[in-house]
Amino acid sequence: MTARAGEARPAHPPAAARESLQGHYAGFASRFAAFAVDVVVLSAIFLLVLAAINFVASIATGKTVDLNRNDIWVVVGYVVWAFIYFAHFWGLNGKTAGGALFGLQVLREDGGDVSGRRAIGRTLAFPLSFLILCLGFLGILLGDRRRALHDVIAGTVVIYSWDARAARLRYLSRPRYSAPAAPAAPPGPPS
Amino acid sequence: MEAMAQTIAERVISLVLDAVDVNAVLDEVDLNTLLDRVDLNTVLDRVDLNALLDRVDIETIVNKVDIEDVLDRVDVNRLLARVDVNQLLSTVDVNRLVGKVDVPAIVDQVNVNQMVQQVDVNEVMSKVDVNAVVDRVDINGIVEHLDLEAIVEETDLGAVIAKSSSGIASGVVDAVRSRTVGVDESIARFVARLRRRPYTGPPGPPAGLVATVGS
Repeated sequence: MTARAGEARPAHPPAAARESLQGHYAGFASRFAAFAVDVVVLSAIFLLVLAAINFVASIATGKTVDLNRNDIWVVVGYVVWAFIYFAHFWGLNGKTAGGALFGLQVLREDGGDVSGRRAIGRTLAFPLSFLILCLGFLGILLGDRRRALHDVIAGTVVIYSWDARAARLRYLSRPRYSAPAAPAAPPGPPS
Repeated sequence: MEAMAQTIAERVISLVLDAVDVNAVLDEVDLNTLLDRVDLNTVLDRVDLNALLDRVDIETIVNKVDIEDVLDRVDVNRLLARVDVNQLLSTVDVNRLVGKVDVPAIVDQVNVNQMVQQVDVNEVMSKVDVNAVVDRVDINGIVEHLDLEAIVEETDLGAVIAKSSSGIASGVVDAVRSRTVGVDESIARFVARLRRRPYTGPPGPPAGLVATVGS
Protein backbone atom coordinates (compact mmCIF):
# COMPACT_ATOMS: atom_id res chain seq x y z
CA MET A 1 0.00 0.00 0.00
CA THR A 2 1.09 3.48 -0.67
CA ALA A 3 -1.06 5.14 1.87
CA ARG A 4 0.23 8.47 2.92
CA ALA A 5 -1.16 8.65 6.36
CA GLY A 6 -0.86 11.92 8.14
CA GLU A 7 -0.91 14.05 5.02
CA ALA A 8 -3.75 16.47 4.82
CA ARG A 9 -5.94 15.96 1.82
CA PRO A 10 -7.53 18.96 0.15
CA ALA A 11 -11.02 19.39 1.49
CA HIS A 12 -12.51 19.88 -1.94
CA PRO A 13 -10.93 19.47 -5.36
CA PRO A 14 -11.11 22.47 -7.68
CA ALA A 15 -14.53 22.88 -9.22
CA ALA A 16 -13.12 22.27 -12.67
CA ALA A 17 -11.72 18.90 -11.59
CA ARG A 18 -14.86 17.54 -9.96
CA GLU A 19 -16.27 16.59 -13.33
CA SER A 20 -14.72 15.41 -16.54
CA LEU A 21 -15.49 18.54 -18.62
CA GLN A 22 -14.64 16.46 -21.67
CA GLY A 23 -16.87 17.57 -24.51
CA HIS A 24 -18.03 20.79 -22.85
CA TYR A 25 -17.64 24.05 -24.73
CA ALA A 26 -14.31 25.69 -24.07
CA GLY A 27 -14.11 29.08 -22.37
CA PHE A 28 -12.46 32.33 -23.32
CA ALA A 29 -9.20 31.99 -21.40
CA SER A 30 -8.38 28.55 -22.76
CA ARG A 31 -9.11 29.61 -26.31
CA PHE A 32 -7.15 32.82 -26.03
CA ALA A 33 -4.18 31.03 -24.47
CA ALA A 34 -4.26 28.38 -27.17
CA PHE A 35 -4.32 31.05 -29.85
CA ALA A 36 -1.40 32.84 -28.23
CA VAL A 37 0.63 29.64 -28.22
CA ASP A 38 -0.30 29.03 -31.86
CA VAL A 39 0.89 32.52 -32.79
CA VAL A 40 4.17 31.92 -30.98
CA VAL A 41 4.67 28.53 -32.61
CA LEU A 42 3.81 29.55 -36.14
CA SER A 43 5.86 32.76 -35.82
CA ALA A 44 8.85 30.86 -34.48
CA ILE A 45 8.68 28.37 -37.34
CA PHE A 46 8.27 31.20 -39.86
CA LEU A 47 11.23 33.11 -38.46
CA LEU A 48 13.38 29.99 -38.51
CA VAL A 49 12.46 29.31 -42.10
CA LEU A 50 13.03 32.97 -42.97
CA ALA A 51 16.46 32.89 -41.33
CA ALA A 52 17.29 29.74 -43.24
CA ILE A 53 16.20 31.33 -46.49
CA ASN A 54 18.32 34.41 -45.75
CA PHE A 55 21.30 32.20 -44.97
CA VAL A 56 20.95 30.04 -48.08
CA ALA A 57 20.30 33.08 -50.29
CA SER A 58 23.36 34.85 -48.89
CA ILE A 59 25.54 31.86 -49.67
CA ALA A 60 23.99 31.34 -53.09
CA THR A 61 24.21 34.97 -54.20
CA GLY A 62 27.31 35.97 -52.30
CA LYS A 63 25.46 39.05 -51.05
CA THR A 64 23.84 39.81 -47.77
CA VAL A 65 20.13 38.97 -48.04
CA ASP A 66 17.96 40.31 -45.26
CA LEU A 67 14.30 39.49 -45.67
CA ASN A 68 12.46 41.00 -42.70
CA ARG A 69 8.99 41.98 -41.60
CA ASN A 70 9.15 45.28 -43.45
CA ASP A 71 9.18 43.41 -46.72
CA ILE A 72 5.67 43.01 -48.15
CA TRP A 73 6.48 39.52 -49.46
CA VAL A 74 7.47 38.45 -45.98
CA VAL A 75 4.14 39.71 -44.64
CA VAL A 76 2.27 37.92 -47.43
CA GLY A 77 4.29 34.79 -46.76
CA TYR A 78 3.48 35.01 -43.06
CA VAL A 79 -0.24 35.36 -43.71
CA VAL A 80 -0.19 32.42 -46.13
CA TRP A 81 1.76 30.33 -43.66
CA ALA A 82 -0.67 31.20 -40.87
CA PHE A 83 -3.57 30.24 -43.12
CA ILE A 84 -1.94 26.90 -43.97
CA TYR A 85 -1.09 26.28 -40.32
CA PHE A 86 -4.60 26.79 -38.96
CA ALA A 87 -6.50 25.27 -41.90
CA HIS A 88 -4.27 22.20 -41.96
CA PHE A 89 -4.46 21.41 -38.26
CA TRP A 90 -8.18 22.18 -37.87
CA GLY A 91 -8.92 20.02 -40.89
CA LEU A 92 -6.57 17.25 -39.74
CA ASN A 93 -7.97 16.56 -36.27
CA GLY A 94 -9.38 19.85 -35.02
CA LYS A 95 -6.30 20.56 -32.91
CA THR A 96 -3.54 23.07 -33.44
CA ALA A 97 -0.40 23.03 -31.29
CA GLY A 98 -1.94 25.49 -28.85
CA GLY A 99 -5.21 23.61 -28.87
CA ALA A 100 -3.43 20.35 -28.11
CA LEU A 101 -1.53 21.97 -25.24
CA PHE A 102 -4.69 23.33 -23.65
CA GLY A 103 -6.80 20.31 -24.55
CA LEU A 104 -9.08 22.03 -27.05
CA GLN A 105 -10.59 20.63 -30.20
CA VAL A 106 -12.60 22.18 -33.01
CA LEU A 107 -15.65 20.15 -34.05
CA ARG A 108 -18.68 20.61 -36.22
CA GLU A 109 -21.59 22.10 -34.28
CA ASP A 110 -23.27 18.68 -34.24
CA GLY A 111 -20.16 17.11 -32.68
CA GLY A 112 -18.71 15.60 -35.85
CA ASP A 113 -15.17 16.03 -37.17
CA VAL A 114 -14.35 19.17 -39.12
CA SER A 115 -13.88 18.60 -42.83
CA GLY A 116 -11.10 20.24 -44.83
CA ARG A 117 -13.52 22.60 -46.54
CA ARG A 118 -15.05 23.69 -43.23
CA ALA A 119 -11.56 24.18 -41.76
CA ILE A 120 -10.66 26.45 -44.68
CA GLY A 121 -13.91 28.40 -44.20
CA ARG A 122 -13.20 28.80 -40.48
CA THR A 123 -9.66 30.00 -41.20
CA LEU A 124 -10.91 32.55 -43.74
CA ALA A 125 -13.62 33.78 -41.33
CA PHE A 126 -11.23 33.96 -38.40
CA PRO A 127 -9.84 37.46 -39.22
CA LEU A 128 -13.39 38.83 -39.31
CA SER A 129 -13.66 38.37 -35.57
CA PHE A 130 -10.66 40.70 -35.24
CA LEU A 131 -11.62 43.19 -37.92
CA ILE A 132 -14.84 44.25 -36.19
CA LEU A 133 -12.95 45.50 -33.16
CA CYS A 134 -12.72 41.98 -31.75
CA LEU A 135 -16.48 42.01 -31.21
CA GLY A 136 -16.59 38.66 -32.98
CA PHE A 137 -15.21 37.07 -29.83
CA LEU A 138 -18.03 38.32 -27.62
CA GLY A 139 -19.99 35.20 -28.48
CA ILE A 140 -17.48 33.14 -26.49
CA LEU A 141 -18.38 35.13 -23.38
CA LEU A 142 -22.08 35.59 -23.96
CA GLY A 143 -23.23 32.74 -26.16
CA ASP A 144 -24.89 29.58 -24.89
CA ARG A 145 -22.42 27.50 -26.85
CA ARG A 146 -19.46 29.81 -26.51
CA ARG A 147 -19.11 30.37 -30.24
CA ALA A 148 -17.17 33.23 -31.81
CA LEU A 149 -18.24 34.84 -35.08
CA HIS A 150 -15.98 32.59 -37.16
CA ASP A 151 -17.48 29.57 -35.39
CA VAL A 152 -20.98 30.68 -36.35
CA ILE A 153 -19.93 31.31 -39.95
CA ALA A 154 -18.14 27.96 -40.27
CA GLY A 155 -20.66 25.99 -38.22
CA THR A 156 -18.11 24.86 -35.65
CA VAL A 157 -17.68 24.69 -31.90
CA VAL A 158 -14.64 24.39 -29.65
CA ILE A 159 -14.70 21.84 -26.84
CA TYR A 160 -12.48 20.60 -24.06
CA SER A 161 -11.04 17.35 -25.37
CA TRP A 162 -9.23 16.37 -22.18
CA ASP A 163 -10.56 14.67 -19.10
CA ALA A 164 -10.24 17.01 -16.12
CA ARG A 165 -11.21 14.29 -13.66
CA ALA A 166 -8.54 11.92 -15.02
CA ALA A 167 -6.00 14.73 -14.71
CA ARG A 168 -7.05 15.23 -11.11
CA LEU A 169 -6.56 11.51 -10.42
CA ARG A 170 -3.14 11.61 -12.07
CA TYR A 171 -2.29 14.57 -9.88
CA LEU A 172 -3.35 12.69 -6.76
CA SER A 173 -1.42 9.59 -7.77
CA ARG A 174 1.84 11.41 -8.43
CA PRO A 175 4.80 10.07 -6.45
CA ARG A 176 5.70 12.22 -3.49
CA TYR A 177 9.00 12.00 -1.72
CA SER A 178 9.64 13.02 1.84
CA ALA A 179 12.87 13.35 3.84
CA PRO A 180 13.68 10.32 6.04
CA ALA A 181 12.82 10.77 9.68
CA ALA A 182 15.69 12.14 11.82
CA PRO A 183 17.23 9.58 14.21
CA ALA A 184 16.26 9.93 17.82
CA ALA A 185 18.59 12.25 19.75
CA PRO A 186 20.81 10.49 22.35
CA PRO A 187 19.86 11.19 25.90
CA GLY A 188 21.73 14.29 27.07
CA PRO A 189 22.84 15.38 30.49
CA PRO A 190 20.12 16.48 32.80
CA SER A 191 19.65 20.21 32.64
CA MET B 1 -114.51 -68.83 22.48
CA GLU B 2 -112.00 -66.25 21.21
CA ALA B 3 -109.12 -68.41 22.22
CA MET B 4 -110.56 -71.36 20.39
CA ALA B 5 -111.05 -69.24 17.28
CA GLN B 6 -107.47 -68.02 17.40
CA THR B 7 -106.18 -71.55 17.81
CA ILE B 8 -108.24 -72.71 14.87
CA ALA B 9 -106.97 -69.81 12.72
CA GLU B 10 -103.34 -70.47 13.54
CA ARG B 11 -103.88 -74.10 12.70
CA VAL B 12 -105.44 -73.25 9.39
CA ILE B 13 -102.67 -70.85 8.50
CA SER B 14 -100.08 -73.42 9.39
CA LEU B 15 -101.74 -76.00 7.18
CA VAL B 16 -102.04 -73.50 4.33
CA LEU B 17 -98.42 -72.46 4.57
CA ASP B 18 -97.29 -76.04 4.61
CA ALA B 19 -99.33 -76.69 1.51
CA VAL B 20 -98.00 -73.62 -0.38
CA ASP B 21 -94.87 -74.03 -2.47
CA VAL B 22 -93.23 -70.66 -1.80
CA ASN B 23 -90.67 -71.06 -4.54
CA ALA B 24 -93.41 -71.73 -7.03
CA VAL B 25 -95.26 -68.65 -5.78
CA LEU B 26 -92.13 -66.50 -6.09
CA ASP B 27 -91.54 -67.78 -9.58
CA GLU B 28 -94.99 -66.57 -10.45
CA VAL B 29 -94.32 -63.08 -9.03
CA ASP B 30 -92.95 -60.48 -11.43
CA LEU B 31 -90.56 -58.68 -9.09
CA ASN B 32 -89.73 -55.96 -11.59
CA THR B 33 -93.37 -55.01 -11.89
CA LEU B 34 -93.67 -55.14 -8.14
CA LEU B 35 -90.65 -52.84 -7.68
CA ASP B 36 -91.98 -50.44 -10.29
CA ARG B 37 -95.04 -50.03 -8.15
CA VAL B 38 -93.04 -49.30 -5.03
CA ASP B 39 -92.42 -45.59 -4.36
CA LEU B 40 -88.83 -45.87 -3.16
CA ASN B 41 -88.56 -42.20 -2.32
CA THR B 42 -91.45 -42.48 0.08
CA VAL B 43 -89.92 -45.57 1.62
CA LEU B 44 -86.54 -43.84 2.00
CA ASP B 45 -88.17 -40.78 3.51
CA ARG B 46 -89.58 -43.00 6.22
CA VAL B 47 -86.26 -44.63 6.94
CA ASP B 48 -84.20 -43.04 9.68
CA LEU B 49 -80.75 -43.52 8.13
CA ASN B 50 -78.95 -42.12 11.12
CA ALA B 51 -80.58 -44.64 13.40
CA LEU B 52 -79.78 -47.34 10.92
CA LEU B 53 -76.13 -46.31 10.70
CA ASP B 54 -75.92 -46.09 14.45
CA ARG B 55 -76.71 -49.77 14.56
CA VAL B 56 -74.01 -50.62 12.03
CA ASP B 57 -70.63 -51.52 13.45
CA ILE B 58 -68.48 -49.78 10.84
CA GLU B 59 -65.26 -50.65 12.61
CA THR B 60 -66.00 -54.32 12.23
CA ILE B 61 -66.82 -53.91 8.58
CA VAL B 62 -63.65 -51.91 7.91
CA ASN B 63 -61.57 -54.46 9.74
CA LYS B 64 -62.90 -57.13 7.47
CA VAL B 65 -61.92 -55.22 4.36
CA ASP B 66 -58.54 -56.16 2.87
CA ILE B 67 -57.38 -52.68 1.90
CA GLU B 68 -54.19 -53.97 0.34
CA ASP B 69 -56.23 -56.12 -1.97
CA VAL B 70 -58.47 -53.17 -2.83
CA LEU B 71 -55.49 -50.95 -3.55
CA ASP B 72 -53.88 -53.61 -5.68
CA ARG B 73 -56.97 -53.62 -7.84
CA VAL B 74 -56.96 -49.84 -8.28
CA ASP B 75 -55.19 -48.51 -11.36
CA VAL B 76 -53.75 -45.36 -9.78
CA ASN B 77 -52.39 -44.00 -13.03
CA ARG B 78 -55.76 -44.26 -14.67
CA LEU B 79 -57.33 -42.63 -11.63
CA LEU B 80 -54.89 -39.73 -11.69
CA ALA B 81 -55.38 -39.27 -15.39
CA ARG B 82 -59.01 -38.47 -14.67
CA VAL B 83 -58.11 -35.84 -12.06
CA ASP B 84 -58.07 -32.21 -13.24
CA VAL B 85 -55.05 -31.07 -11.22
CA ASN B 86 -55.42 -27.43 -12.22
CA GLN B 87 -58.98 -27.31 -10.99
CA LEU B 88 -57.93 -29.07 -7.83
CA LEU B 89 -55.11 -26.60 -7.19
CA SER B 90 -57.34 -23.63 -7.93
CA THR B 91 -59.43 -24.59 -4.94
CA VAL B 92 -56.40 -24.80 -2.65
CA ASP B 93 -55.52 -21.73 -0.59
CA VAL B 94 -51.74 -21.96 -1.08
CA ASN B 95 -50.96 -19.04 1.19
CA ARG B 96 -52.83 -20.62 4.04
CA LEU B 97 -51.13 -23.92 3.32
CA VAL B 98 -47.68 -22.35 3.26
CA GLY B 99 -48.49 -20.44 6.42
CA LYS B 100 -48.90 -23.72 8.23
CA VAL B 101 -45.54 -25.05 7.03
CA ASP B 102 -42.73 -24.82 9.54
CA VAL B 103 -40.05 -23.74 7.10
CA PRO B 104 -37.21 -23.38 9.63
CA ALA B 105 -37.82 -26.95 10.76
CA ILE B 106 -37.60 -28.15 7.17
CA VAL B 107 -34.47 -26.12 6.50
CA ASP B 108 -32.89 -27.52 9.66
CA GLN B 109 -33.32 -30.98 8.25
CA VAL B 110 -31.70 -30.08 4.94
CA ASN B 111 -28.00 -30.68 4.58
CA VAL B 112 -27.20 -27.63 2.50
CA ASN B 113 -23.52 -28.44 2.18
CA GLN B 114 -24.26 -31.83 0.75
CA MET B 115 -26.83 -30.33 -1.58
CA VAL B 116 -24.43 -27.68 -2.82
CA GLN B 117 -21.72 -30.26 -3.43
CA GLN B 118 -24.07 -32.08 -5.73
CA VAL B 119 -24.73 -28.98 -7.81
CA ASP B 120 -22.74 -28.70 -11.01
CA VAL B 121 -21.91 -25.01 -10.76
CA ASN B 122 -20.24 -24.94 -14.15
CA GLU B 123 -23.35 -26.24 -15.82
CA VAL B 124 -25.49 -23.74 -13.96
CA MET B 125 -23.19 -20.89 -14.94
CA SER B 126 -23.16 -22.00 -18.56
CA LYS B 127 -26.92 -21.45 -18.61
CA VAL B 128 -26.65 -17.96 -17.12
CA ASP B 129 -26.68 -15.08 -19.59
CA VAL B 130 -24.02 -13.00 -17.88
CA ASN B 131 -24.39 -10.17 -20.39
CA ALA B 132 -28.07 -9.86 -19.56
CA VAL B 133 -27.23 -9.78 -15.86
CA VAL B 134 -24.53 -7.15 -16.38
CA ASP B 135 -26.89 -5.09 -18.53
CA ARG B 136 -29.21 -4.83 -15.57
CA VAL B 137 -26.46 -3.52 -13.31
CA ASP B 138 -26.20 0.26 -13.09
CA ILE B 139 -22.40 0.45 -13.21
CA ASN B 140 -22.40 4.22 -13.56
CA GLY B 141 -24.51 4.45 -10.42
CA ILE B 142 -22.05 2.24 -8.56
CA VAL B 143 -19.05 4.23 -9.76
CA GLU B 144 -20.70 7.48 -8.70
CA HIS B 145 -20.86 6.16 -5.15
CA LEU B 146 -17.13 5.42 -5.12
CA ASP B 147 -14.71 7.90 -3.66
CA LEU B 148 -12.26 7.57 -6.54
CA GLU B 149 -9.97 10.22 -5.15
CA ALA B 150 -9.57 8.34 -1.88
CA ILE B 151 -8.98 5.06 -3.74
CA VAL B 152 -6.34 6.56 -6.00
CA GLU B 153 -4.62 8.45 -3.24
CA GLU B 154 -4.53 5.72 -0.63
CA THR B 155 -4.09 2.47 -2.54
CA ASP B 156 -1.68 0.85 -4.97
CA LEU B 157 -3.99 1.87 -7.76
CA GLY B 158 -2.49 5.32 -7.48
CA ALA B 159 0.99 3.90 -8.02
CA VAL B 160 -0.22 1.97 -11.05
CA ILE B 161 -1.71 5.10 -12.57
CA ALA B 162 1.42 7.05 -11.77
CA LYS B 163 3.64 4.44 -13.45
CA SER B 164 1.45 4.14 -16.51
CA SER B 165 0.51 7.72 -17.22
CA SER B 166 2.37 10.28 -15.28
CA GLY B 167 5.43 12.16 -16.25
CA ILE B 168 6.78 15.58 -15.67
CA ALA B 169 5.40 16.79 -18.99
CA SER B 170 1.93 15.37 -18.46
CA GLY B 171 1.90 16.76 -14.93
CA VAL B 172 2.74 20.24 -16.22
CA VAL B 173 0.14 19.96 -19.00
CA ASP B 174 -2.52 18.83 -16.52
CA ALA B 175 -1.64 21.72 -14.24
CA VAL B 176 -1.73 24.28 -17.06
CA ARG B 177 -5.06 22.99 -18.34
CA SER B 178 -6.59 22.91 -14.89
CA ARG B 179 -5.50 26.48 -14.18
CA THR B 180 -6.81 27.71 -17.52
CA VAL B 181 -10.14 25.98 -17.05
CA GLY B 182 -10.31 27.60 -13.63
CA VAL B 183 -9.83 31.01 -15.30
CA ASP B 184 -12.51 30.07 -17.86
CA GLU B 185 -14.93 29.36 -15.06
CA SER B 186 -14.06 32.55 -13.21
CA ILE B 187 -14.66 34.64 -16.33
CA ALA B 188 -17.92 32.82 -17.07
CA ARG B 189 -19.15 33.36 -13.51
CA PHE B 190 -18.21 37.04 -13.67
CA VAL B 191 -20.05 37.52 -16.96
CA ALA B 192 -23.07 35.67 -15.59
CA ARG B 193 -23.09 37.95 -12.57
CA LEU B 194 -22.94 41.04 -14.83
CA ARG B 195 -25.86 39.66 -16.80
CA ARG B 196 -27.65 38.70 -13.58
CA ARG B 197 -28.04 35.14 -14.68
CA PRO B 198 -27.27 32.01 -12.67
CA TYR B 199 -24.18 30.12 -13.76
CA THR B 200 -24.49 26.34 -13.66
CA GLY B 201 -21.15 25.28 -15.10
CA PRO B 202 -19.70 24.97 -18.58
CA PRO B 203 -22.32 24.30 -21.26
CA GLY B 204 -22.29 21.30 -23.56
CA PRO B 205 -21.45 18.86 -24.86
CA PRO B 206 -22.79 19.00 -28.44
CA ALA B 207 -25.67 16.65 -29.17
CA GLY B 208 -23.52 14.41 -31.34
CA LEU B 209 -21.00 13.95 -28.57
CA VAL B 210 -23.45 13.04 -25.80
CA ALA B 211 -23.46 9.38 -26.79
CA THR B 212 -19.69 9.06 -26.84
CA VAL B 213 -18.46 11.31 -24.06
CA GLY B 214 -19.19 10.23 -20.52
CA SER B 215 -19.13 13.45 -18.65
